[in-house]
Amino acid sequence: MSFSLDLITGFISLFFTILIFSYLIGDNPLFRIAAYIFVGVSAGYVAAIAVWQVIVPRLVYPILFGSFNEKIFASIPLLGGLFIMMKVSSRLSGIARLTMAFLVGAGAAVTIAGAVVGTLIPQVNATINMFDLNAAASMNIGKAEALGNGAVIFLGTILTMVYFHFGASPKTDGSMRRLGLIEIAAWLGRIFIGITLGAIFAGVYAAALTALIERIASMSNFILNLLGNF
Amino acid sequence: MRVITAVIAIATGALILFGYFFEPFAIVQTLLLNWAIILASVAALVGIFNLLSVHTDKIRRGEKGSTYSALLVIAMLATVFFGIILRPQHTVMQMLLNGIIIPVEAALMGLLTVSLLYAAIRLLRRRADMMGIIFLLTAVILFLGSATLPFGDIPVIGTLIRPWVSQILALGGARGILIGVALGTLTTGLRVLFGIDRPYGGQ
Repeated sequence: MSFSLDLITGFISLFFTILIFSYLIGDNPLFRIAAYIFVGVSAGYVAAIAVWQVIVPRLVYPILFGSFNEKIFASIPLLGGLFIMMKVSSRLSGIARLTMAFLVGAGAAVTIAGAVVGTLIPQVNATINMFDLNAAASMNIGKAEALGNGAVIFLGTILTMVYFHFGASPKTDGSMRRLGLIEIAAWLGRIFIGITLGAIFAGVYAAALTALIERIASMSNFILNLLGNF
Repeated sequence: MRVITAVIAIATGALILFGYFFEPFAIVQTLLLNWAIILASVAALVGIFNLLSVHTDKIRRGEKGSTYSALLVIAMLATVFFGIILRPQHTVMQMLLNGIIIPVEAALMGLLTVSLLYAAIRLLRRRADMMGIIFLLTAVILFLGSATLPFGDIPVIGTLIRPWVSQILALGGARGILIGVALGTLTTGLRVLFGIDRPYGGQ
């Protein structure tokens, strides 16, 4: 049973990989078939996960088998869920706004906390810590090197942020231009942004190359194993 | 309705945000986040139903590409059916995951190799300015510096230039971009919490 399931999975995997790679000769019906089936299966899988991992344990179980308090607390998202389902009807879709407002409010709060606690504070701390000479000494980095590296990173951070400063004041000829100093800093910031985007491009390309090699290796292994069994 | 939705969004956001900073609000925060997770799942189901209805409409009207839509609908309904009846951990669902979802995602990622290379060549042809050259030069240096070669690292590039470019220069730019994105996110979130932006409707 296990062998036959592995075989079927391997065949399906090989088939869909070939269909997707057919895009290399241009957009064609084989690629589209694979893409549409992929979207359908993924959407169905997400629906199954949402039902079994979230809705059943967090909503259905408390409503059916929970204590009185649990039933009360679960009835509110149940009502919210019913409201959001009204989005399907064009006449009653306005009611769904109540739930959407709740979701947007919750999302905004989580996003704010994530931005402050997860990005702003750690990034600012990391920039400051680059000048920590004791930490540099413990890693066998010289004072001059640590200060130099810290200064370049600090400068890169500031200049990159200045590049995105688009505040400008009107000149005598009516044109809108940034201050001269900001203009120079923004020009230097562009260099840092170009380097960063180049590094990101290299990272993404390396990841894509790894995925390509994995697919080719997986296909060849499957075919070789299949031939070896005969 | 306009006022009620704004009050709901602001109150929910404020209570969840207080939970991060004041201990007594932590219980309320957990409860609200639990509700948000449930409602987000229901919203995802409504979105999937919408995808289904869009494609069934295409099939009904016999629009161009309706054969592909039929494949999508069949694949979706079959997966939902098996997923609900057998649960996602079942062997059939795992077969769908390992046979279709993961290989297609990996193959699409693999296709990026060609697309990105083509995009880089086009960039060099169409926009060979300072920004484009710095961008591609950095990528080339990082590739050469991290390539596994029979004789080891390329002298200077692999041992000196690549680490300095990726760990110092690129880090400075990345940090600036990350802080900028975080500040933008913070501003957008605060605009929603103050009721200035109302993406849930009711402007």
